[in-house]
Amino acid sequence: MLRILLAKDLRRAWRNPLPWLINLALPLCITALIGLVFGGTSDSGALGRIRFAVVDEDKTVLSDFLRGAANQREGGKYLEPVLLDREEAMRQILDDKLSAAVIIPTNFMRNYLTGRAPVSLELIKNPAESIHPAVLEELLGAVVTAMNAVARNFQSEFPDWQAVIEGHGDYHEVSRLIDRAGDKLKAARKYVNPPLVMYDKDTDSDHAAGDAPKTGEMKSGPAKPGASKSGPSFNIFGYLLVGMAAMFLLFLAGNGMADLYRELRLHTFERYHTLQQRLLPFVAGKVAFAVVMLLLCSAVMLGGGGLIFRIHWQQPLALAALAIGYACFAAGLFAFLVAVMPDERRAAVLNNIAGMLLGLAGGCAFPPDQLPAFMRQHLTPLLPSYWFVNTARNLQAGVAGVAWGPVTLELIGLGVVLTGLAVFLFHRRFKTGLRA
Amino acid sequence: MSLLRVQGLFKAFGAIRAVDDVSFEVRPGEIYGLLGPNGAGKTTTISMISGLLKSDAGEVFVVGEPFWNDPQRAKRIMGVVPQELAIYEELTGRENLEFWGRMAGLSSAEAKSRAAELLSALTLTDRAKDAVKTYSGGMKRRINLGCALLHRPQLLLLDEPTVGIDPQARLNILEFIRGLCASGTAILYTTHYLEEAETLCQRIGIIDHGRLLAEGTLSELQERLGGDRVFVLEADFKDASPDAWNGFHQRFRVIQKSERQLVVAAIGQRDPSECLKDLLNLPIRVENVMLKRPSLNDVFLQLTGRDLRE
Repeated sequence: MLRILLAKDLRRAWRNPLPWLINLALPLCITALIGLVFGGTSDSGALGRIRFAVVDEDKTVLSDFLRGAANQREGGKYLEPVLLDREEAMRQILDDKLSAAVIIPTNFMRNYLTGRAPVSLELIKNPAESIHPAVLEELLGAVVTAMNAVARNFQSEFPDWQAVIEGHGDYHEVSRLIDRAGDKLKAARKYVNPPLVMYDKDTDSDHAAGDAPKTGEMKSGPAKPGASKSGPSFNIFGYLLVGMAAMFLLFLAGNGMADLYRELRLHTFERYHTLQQRLLPFVAGKVAFAVVMLLLCSAVMLGGGGLIFRIHWQQPLALAALAIGYACFAAGLFAFLVAVMPDERRAAVLNNIAGMLLGLAGGCAFPPDQLPAFMRQHLTPLLPSYWFVNTARNLQAGVAGVAWGPVTLELIGLGVVLTGLAVFLFHRRFKTGLRA
Repeated sequence: MSLLRVQGLFKAFGAIRAVDDVSFEVRPGEIYGLLGPNGAGKTTTISMISGLLKSDAGEVFVVGEPFWNDPQRAKRIMGVVPQELAIYEELTGRENLEFWGRMAGLSSAEAKSRAAELLSALTLTDRAKDAVKTYSGGMKRRINLGCALLHRPQLLLLDEPTVGIDPQARLNILEFIRGLCASGTAILYTTHYLEEAETLCQRIGIIDHGRLLAEGTLSELQERLGGDRVFVLEADFKDASPDAWNGFHQRFRVIQKSERQLVVAAIGQRDPSECLKDLLNLPIRVENVMLKRPSLNDVFLQLTGRDLRE
């Protein structure tokens, strides 16, 4: 019975594919647009170089050192600093040519060496971008932390260093200072390299190598030389595409299950009800149809999108299982909503809102960390869209021990329950006189 | 034994009594017509008989068994043709028939052969592979009818199956229905077309405002008007009142009176020429008198005071 119903719906969709094609093309286009805005065009598929301005208002040796350090060695691979004045930097940010501007304020060196004020650097972010400025903010945070650490350990030497920098010291004094600093560094070396405390985020490749510490564990003691194996590189398209796919799969499910309204409007649902068959196969058939269509669309979006954006899916089978679970949930949810809402036009609006809310609150459109605190802590974790997106992203990030199996089963279970509720509600509506 | 028996069926939607104490029965090989204007309660009655709606009171018996005792069994015996086209426009005629055949419980092979049979009977074999959306209104109606016949139902419920199609297509469908009736299928046929009820149905029930006002064969219904003829007088009846005419109501029954027309039937077995003479002697200047067989519209007019064609 399900096979016959499914074949009928697939035939109908095949002969009128436009709505499905539009919904398929949209997430790919949006992902491409967002990805290109965030500089996802590099061949490596990584984040790309971050172009930012350095505005040196202090113009001292220390500010020169900071300015120059930004594009040295590893920094040069990811950072592209340009030296500008404040006005020009602001203008270029507004023109969307820079991701941010780092301002080294006047008296920066004097304040630092005299210890009058904590280290402070100003960061002006480009509001049109989110990832690059956020990366720069993290980097600046690290620089400030490091400078504060130096200040705490060398505070007593700073007046002498300041005198030397300002040209008051002689060579003997400079030599003596270097000697003292060298002795201190020598004594601190065993604490600094390798670090006494480190944070190690475990990946599946570590597991493969037979090393299985807990995820995100704080470890004490020297790091093992072989344990620094890096996880999969971050691909912004991969991150975005999973979210976009999750959101648009909801819309596609809404579109698929809206076919129940068409069946009501065409009176074919009514005709079916005059036959000896029960309601369950009809609704279940429609859910099966929506699931099949969602899986085809997932394959196009994630598979095709992966090829287009050069995303290497870390665990394709686990991702496929998750997609099956998510498709079941989405189809069940919209079957339930159709059963609850008799008015097709109202339902079209409400279904879109429901899809949008689930997508946004579930962290599909942007990182869940950026959601309001209340939502992030109390609402988002309850949403099946978040279960799917978060698990898929963790799989892609190579996080070890991602529980994709239980999440898949939960999503399928939820889909089955919602379908059952939809059948019950349709049964009640038919009893009271269902009309399209 | 009747295939379908409806007993005191009642359904209200709020304050509106859509169907009010309706009772009738349909026998094997009979076409029973339910005649009434739009909103009379025909579709609601069919919906209750087919199990789409639950009645507030009354009972539907299919082959002697209450419908709700075993709805699945009753539905296997029935075929329902809804008033609206209930077919998939993207699918071909053949695919539609095969699909509904499978839904009606036929095997794939049975559905295929029965679909071919019906396509031929409905003269649609040439267009069998075309999508239904390319069909004319009459062809769609024929496919809509065919979809209810795949499992050879003993009882067929037809809800205004000829609405909105041209006369030729209507004749084709009516001919097909006569064929079904001849093969022993019991048919409940709702319509608001007088001619269809007169020419197609063996027995007719007249329904209005949810109430079954009269039922019987065409001649039985005509008999209610006092025989097989009525007189139509044309004159200026604006200021005339039949009540003032001496002994008029003892000899004639007024069916309808308007400013220009008076329709009457003779009471008792009287000679038409005598009736005619009587009418011409009325104290009014009659411009024209017409003698005709009473139609269902005249019966409806007499029962409701309204013209069914209005």
